[in-house]
Amino acid sequence: MLEIKNLDVSVEDKQIIKNLNLKIGPGEVHAIMGPNGSGKSTIAHTLAGKPNYLVESGNVEFKNEDLIAKDPYERSLLGLFLAFQYPIELPGVTNASYLKQILNAHRKSRGENPIDAGEFLKILKEKSKNLNIPMDMHSRFVNAGFSGGEKKKNEVLQMDLLDPSLIIMDETDSGLDVDALKSTSEAVNKLRDGKRSFLIITHYLRLLEYIEPDHVHVFGDGSIIESGDKSLASRIDNEGYEVK
Amino acid sequence: MKSVSSLDCIIEISEKISIQNTTDTIKIDCSNDENNPIIDIEVEKSKINNRIYLECNENQDINATINIQIYDNATLEFVDETNYGRTTDITMNTAMRPNAEFELYRFNKFNVSTKNSFVHSCDLKTNCIFRDFNFSNGSKEMSNITKISLNEKNSKYIGSGVVIADSTNCKNQLDISHLSQSAVSDSTFKTVSRGKSNVTFQGKVFVDNDCSDTVSSQISKGLVMSDESKINLTPILEINNDDVVCSHGAASGKPDDTVLFYLASRGIEKSDAEKLYMQGFLSEFLNKIENVQMQSKARDYISQNC
Repeated sequence: MLEIKNLDVSVEDKQIIKNLNLKIGPGEVHAIMGPNGSGKSTIAHTLAGKPNYLVESGNVEFKNEDLIAKDPYERSLLGLFLAFQYPIELPGVTNASYLKQILNAHRKSRGENPIDAGEFLKILKEKSKNLNIPMDMHSRFVNAGFSGGEKKKNEVLQMDLLDPSLIIMDETDSGLDVDALKSTSEAVNKLRDGKRSFLIITHYLRLLEYIEPDHVHVFGDGSIIESGDKSLASRIDNEGYEVK
Repeated sequence: MKSVSSLDCIIEISEKISIQNTTDTIKIDCSNDENNPIIDIEVEKSKINNRIYLECNENQDINATINIQIYDNATLEFVDETNYGRTTDITMNTAMRPNAEFELYRFNKFNVSTKNSFVHSCDLKTNCIFRDFNFSNGSKEMSNITKISLNEKNSKYIGSGVVIADSTNCKNQLDISHLSQSAVSDSTFKTVSRGKSNVTFQGKVFVDNDCSDTVSSQISKGLVMSDESKINLTPILEINNDDVVCSHGAASGKPDDTVLFYLASRGIEKSDAEKLYMQGFLSEFLNKIENVQMQSKARDYISQNC
């Protein structure tokens, strides 16, 4: 699914990712843990193609294609989804209109016609119900005035709507209370179908107690310094990042 | 004077029009050969909404003066959706009697190689409300001047201007004079400047020294979409009374790259992402248009021209 080889990434002339290697197979759930400033979010944004994140060397293959050579929108259309730590607000555009537009962008890339308004409403109602999202949220502007929980649920709704092959979750647990964390995790778990892969970036064990990873990697100074199974996350939670 | 109450009647230029209890559409045909036609419209007492559509021949130069009198308790909705193909020079003078309501909607597209001018002076008496919404794409040389006089207490002006420029120019000026106590003004100007456009906005709010209990808000925002386009926003406040609540804000800049990246990360191409961004930027204030039909027209205008 995804293979990162010897990746070096700089942001504003400062090298953040150093010789990173990571392979994620179909259906696998990988977690990256690490202290602040270790480069966790940088890898998420690099994979999604954020401008100014300069790949100095190395390569990334996603579905046997050169991911780095593609524009950010092409990466999304290829099946990569980044759930943002801080979802962006888009005043003046209703959530329903936005969701329909991103869905149609993906349909267009598959050679399908734009979705019929009635059909879209039906899908939106069904998927919103699964996430306990009230329909009136969709008549509000995208993420504007949304609570932290609503923003994260809206991210999960988008990943459900776009049906990606690889989901990168960048600190999705930040800003969520216990109930919101649980319901968001349950919704994510419903998307685990044995084919779809996940890369979960987090500081804490608590998210991984709900979404159990197959592999856990500890990030330090821009690269993976230790890998293991889910027990590694428990050890980090007990001992912290300083003790190895 | 001609009394009008029927559907879609054509009114000759220079004819004085009197409207009473008209609920249908009246078209004013400006397509005759007169050099400087004067259109006089009087709206008499009526609680029923009167609506006028201005319809101009887009293949002729327009040089017209429109005088509007709205009498006590009368209401008028004036809609101009003309695509102007030639030079235009339109002057509008509006006098509102106590308790009158006026709604002016202009959804215009101009030929980018023409010169255009619109000057509107509007005087408001006690308890009058003027809702003024103007949508334009600019032209080679465009001047848009609105002068509002809140002459008596409790008069209210709510206005918004939107310019979606694409290698066009547009000079906008809004002067609001609070000349009596307890008057309210609330204005918003938004523009998107693309290509080699140059858009300016000067918004002046004047509050006279005996105008206590004044409330005024003025916002002007611009989105610069290219390196060669320019936006200049100038708010001017002259407040001569301490018992006022007046606010203003002006800001312009380029699109937020973080937002464009977010949209791209959802599969939206750059050009479509920029279009969505512009639409959102311009649509933010549309809830100020209470008239549902006109709000929908405004939304369509923005969608079609971004």
